[in-house]
Amino acid sequence: MTTETVTAWTTRRGAFAQAASMTARSLVSIRNQPAQLVEFVMIPLMILLSVTFFMGGQMMGSWQAFLDYAGPSIIAMGLFFAITATGLGLFGDLKSGVFDRLTAMPVSRFALLAGRVAADMVKHAWSLLIVGGVAFAIGYRADGGVAGVAGAAGVMLLFLFACSWTMVLVGLTAKSEEQIQTWMISLLMPLAYTSTIFVQKDTLPEPVQWWATVNPLTSMADSMRVFLDGGTPGGELLALLGWCAALFAVFVPLSLRAYRRKLTS
Amino acid sequence: MKYAIEVRGLVKSFGEVRALDGIDLGVAPGTVMGLLGPNGAGKTTAVRVLSTLTVPDAGTARVLGLDVVAQAAQVRERLSLTGQYAGLDDGLTGEQNLVLIARLLGASRSQAKARAHELIERFDLAHAASRPVAGYSGGMRRRLDLAASIVRRPEVLVLDEPTTGLDPNSRNGLWEVVRELVAEGTTVLLTTQYLEEADQLADSIAVVDSGRVIASGTPSQLKQTVGGLVLRLRPVRPDALAQLRDLADWTIGASVREEDATLFVPVAHAGEATALMSRVSQAGVDLAAFGLDEPTLDEVFLTLTGHRTGTDEKKTEVPA
Ligand SMILES: Nc1ncnc2c1ncn2[C@@H]1O[C@H](COP(=O)(O)OP(=O)(O)OP(=O)(O)O)[C@@H](O)[C@H]1O
Ligand SMILES: [Mg+2]
Repeated sequence: MTTETVTAWTTRRGAFAQAASMTARSLVSIRNQPAQLVEFVMIPLMILLSVTFFMGGQMMGSWQAFLDYAGPSIIAMGLFFAITATGLGLFGDLKSGVFDRLTAMPVSRFALLAGRVAADMVKHAWSLLIVGGVAFAIGYRADGGVAGVAGAAGVMLLFLFACSWTMVLVGLTAKSEEQIQTWMISLLMPLAYTSTIFVQKDTLPEPVQWWATVNPLTSMADSMRVFLDGGTPGGELLALLGWCAALFAVFVPLSLRAYRRKLTS
Repeated sequence: MKYAIEVRGLVKSFGEVRALDGIDLGVAPGTVMGLLGPNGAGKTTAVRVLSTLTVPDAGTARVLGLDVVAQAAQVRERLSLTGQYAGLDDGLTGEQNLVLIARLLGASRSQAKARAHELIERFDLAHAASRPVAGYSGGMRRRLDLAASIVRRPEVLVLDEPTTGLDPNSRNGLWEVVRELVAEGTTVLLTTQYLEEADQLADSIAVVDSGRVIASGTPSQLKQTVGGLVLRLRPVRPDALAQLRDLADWTIGASVREEDATLFVPVAHAGEATALMSRVSQAGVDLAAFGLDEPTLDEVFLTLTGHRTGTDEKKTEVPA
């Protein structure tokens, strides 16, 4: 037999370095199957185009006006549908033997979950780039210029990142793929329609207006709007950061606990 | 340390099903133990407990003296698992799979590559190393899976049905690798449904059924209880079966079995079979067919438990 390289790697890389390896693993499979690059842009792109062209005119007189007001938040909404992929991907990982192997290895549990989330964030950023480009091509312009667009994109991705952890928990606890889809739709739809994503707050029914104010999607949509108009968001951005912190604080530990529970069941 | 793997009174239930019902095992360092049992016997459950993937309801399991529940993190450092279902990422190539494992275990980029290449050579996968695993054959998958388990050489290696579904050639290749690992000092626990596999690889065998160890010992000890071989006799006239049974009375086989107008007689060795055959011809019993077979897992079970595999309870397979 050939002499082996020393395989007792004693330096253990930290949880974040391990998460980076797991992220790379998910992204490498895109390189092996590049068609995925098109697939995950399709949903947010279709949502943007169909909502703008078919509903925009009725809601605001012309689709151009609607695109101007709601375009960015509709892109955000489309990307939100894509966070289901985190839950589905994790569910698939857990069902296949890969995670059995990884779980039986001396690897941080957090790294295994975070790697999935981080890889999906890279995909969301890619979708945002493409769908944002399409919006620009059909006439969307931001007063805030490049800095404003960057600020808005940052806000959106941060909130997506926080929300992805809810999907990690769902992916770890769901019994089937359908259940994940159902959870997603039943959480996101009501949230979206009671926020200022599509409509201005004063057009909502009275009792819903209060909820619309605290709705995190409102904070996100408003922060993005301020950035895109060339301003600097204040209260709405703070509210959003508060929401993100709360989501991390609740769903990261819950997900880790669900992961441990899976072992004892 | 007397045992590299030591299991005492392990119990694990899934709802009504008692997958493990008080298992005891002891595997000496540097040896191979074969866990032999039919579908649903509890083999995978036992393996999952040892590799820290399932927490038992009762009993203890120690790997290299470390408790698999209380010291799970340390156990993971020293034990490696090849599960029943390949633990590979279908979207990655063979090489990328190995590099990922090495990176997670702390190897630098170049160390990981070097180790991956070494294993690819050793497991004869060079031609497929840069193809996604999704397109691998069952045998290639199994080899890569085993390679992934020894990216960092484990002190204890657990293999869950490593050769189920493989052709004889691939099976032999895999056995060869296991033997090499053992020669290098690794302790191996492997589960199998094949008596022959346990016989080929194991220093000791534990036969499990319905979550219990129903027999254990070296392969030759077990074979003696079962009878080394099975002589199959089918008389021309079915009413001669009773006469054949009488003739076979003196053989080691206390468990002569009758099925489809055929008598199955366990014998210790070929000589005993010849002796019996000559008694049969002297007695003038005409045979329509006869043959000498290796005992099957079924025969082992019949002898040990008095029932055929899996006939006492209907069990359904649930992937863990
Ligand atoms: N996660 C689970 N949930 C419910 N029942 C389970 C689970 N895992 C195993 N079982 C049950 O426990 C029993 C033992 O299963 P186990 O997988 O350990 O058997 P096995 O010996 O590995 O069988 P096979 O040869 O088919 O792989 C079976 O009856 C099985 O249905
Ligand atoms: Mg099994």
